[in-house]
Amino acid sequence: MIFDSYEAYRAANFKPKVCILGSGPAGTTIARKLGAAGIPVVVLEAGSRDFSDESQDFYRGTTVGDFYFDLDITRLRYMGGSSNHWAGWCRVLDKQDFEPKAWAPDTGWPIRRADIEPYLPEVHDILELPDFRPDVPISDDIRWVQLIKSPAVRFAEKFADELDKSRNIAVVLNTYATELAGDGKRVTGAKLWSNGQDAGSFSADYFIVCTGGLENSRLLLWSNQRSNGGVVPNATALGRYWMEHPTFEGGNAILADYGEFEVDAVNEAFFSPTLAAMERLQIMNFGIRLIETPYAGVKHVIADLACTAPDMAEWVAYQLSQNLRCAAQLYVAWEQAPLASNQIELSKTDVDHAGVPRIELHWKKSELERRTLVEGLKLFGKTLIDKDLGRVRLMDWIANGEDYPTNEETAGHHHMGGTRMGTDVTKSVVDANCKVHGMDNLYVGGSSVFCTSGQANPTTTITALACRLGEHLSKVVSV
Amino acid sequence: MSFFKKMSRRTLVRAMIALPALPVFRKLPEIDAAQAGPSRADPNEIVEVNGWILKRSDLA
Repeated sequence: MIFDSYEAYRAANFKPKVCILGSGPAGTTIARKLGAAGIPVVVLEAGSRDFSDESQDFYRGTTVGDFYFDLDITRLRYMGGSSNHWAGWCRVLDKQDFEPKAWAPDTGWPIRRADIEPYLPEVHDILELPDFRPDVPISDDIRWVQLIKSPAVRFAEKFADELDKSRNIAVVLNTYATELAGDGKRVTGAKLWSNGQDAGSFSADYFIVCTGGLENSRLLLWSNQRSNGGVVPNATALGRYWMEHPTFEGGNAILADYGEFEVDAVNEAFFSPTLAAMERLQIMNFGIRLIETPYAGVKHVIADLACTAPDMAEWVAYQLSQNLRCAAQLYVAWEQAPLASNQIELSKTDVDHAGVPRIELHWKKSELERRTLVEGLKLFGKTLIDKDLGRVRLMDWIANGEDYPTNEETAGHHHMGGTRMGTDVTKSVVDANCKVHGMDNLYVGGSSVFCTSGQANPTTTITALACRLGEHLSKVVSV
Repeated sequence: MSFFKKMSRRTLVRAMIALPALPVFRKLPEIDAAQAGPSRADPNEIVEVNGWILKRSDLA
């Protein structure tokens, strides 16, 4: 069932056991799992069926530190959430991403990759993915990895019909849960805002917060403030350890045999470090994306190379004259070191139309990450030389140690952390089952539970974790 | 001191003019590969030039 207003939902007299906040990939996946298990569940979606400026305005906020996107641009507030502008790149976090790393504090998850692997067949169905091929080591240091460009499933489009027909799932649009109330053991209710006004309180046996990698922290911070700590009793880490995937053009490569890596339909190939290389160089994970350089760009490479390595420049020029692919742009995205200082705070001066403080995001890239970028590119360059595959050139700003440019991709629009998973209540918010520490009926879904970000786009892992949480809850919740 | 006293001024000037040319006629010893810097010994050495990560043998 899908209701366009809270009033219409109330008239239907539906009695849910579970309330999910947010209808993005995590919220929709968990709802479908619970619905399939016969558990009545309501999904409260703050936005409507389509994009609107009025709804997006609730997402405005400010950023302190490094340059970042406007917070009302980097996510979407309507049915299906940010899956509505997702590019479709898929890959699950690597096994090594779940392991603690001695050179990077506060890394390591309380679960292993093996804990989500049983859900991957389900994830492949949801995201319409073919099987991943195993990573291919091209040296002891570098793996040729696969990111699949999926059809970019829009969750609202794909599942609207199923949700509408479901007798166990009620999706309620235009209904914004502005705060949760709690007594330090349980969430006792949610305060709602609908059609531009206060819509009273709402209660259910269980609440699952799936409002996105920025909004989950905002809602819980505000709820906890209003409930005097009654919603997140151990709140030291709440809003902290927020992460992104910084993304920049890192340089160029000339390749002896461009077809070597059988680049996919979009002419892109991806490379990541081995755990041994990360450990030796004391760096984080990263992904180097090869994109074929257009004609004008190759001529620039030739001119740049001519003074330094003329024979090689001549070879590239010959390849170009034969219309052969031989050069690529290198885009680098890397894993951020989890830092407590990268955090979501509530604005002290600015609130949205419902009176909820807006986000003040504190975000800064660290020295460890700069080293990851530089050493990662050098490692890739050395590997191409060692294997006689090609040569790499670093962008001037990287080679010269200059500041990050502000006119490039900047980051992946991947919002991770803030309610991270863990066993130490001073450094995490939820446990291995995504249940808020100390609370009996409050869970969190989505990338805000990520302990570390790895280098892979998060949607595949979000969906796998949502399948896992849905299955867990279907055993916990009694009908 | 006694050496300079015995040389004529003309001889001394000729010697100083000839001095820079001496290495040209001198047979230089073979460079021991082990003692030589890697830049001379190893064409496979990885070098960074103008942002390019190259083998030394790639260079002009």
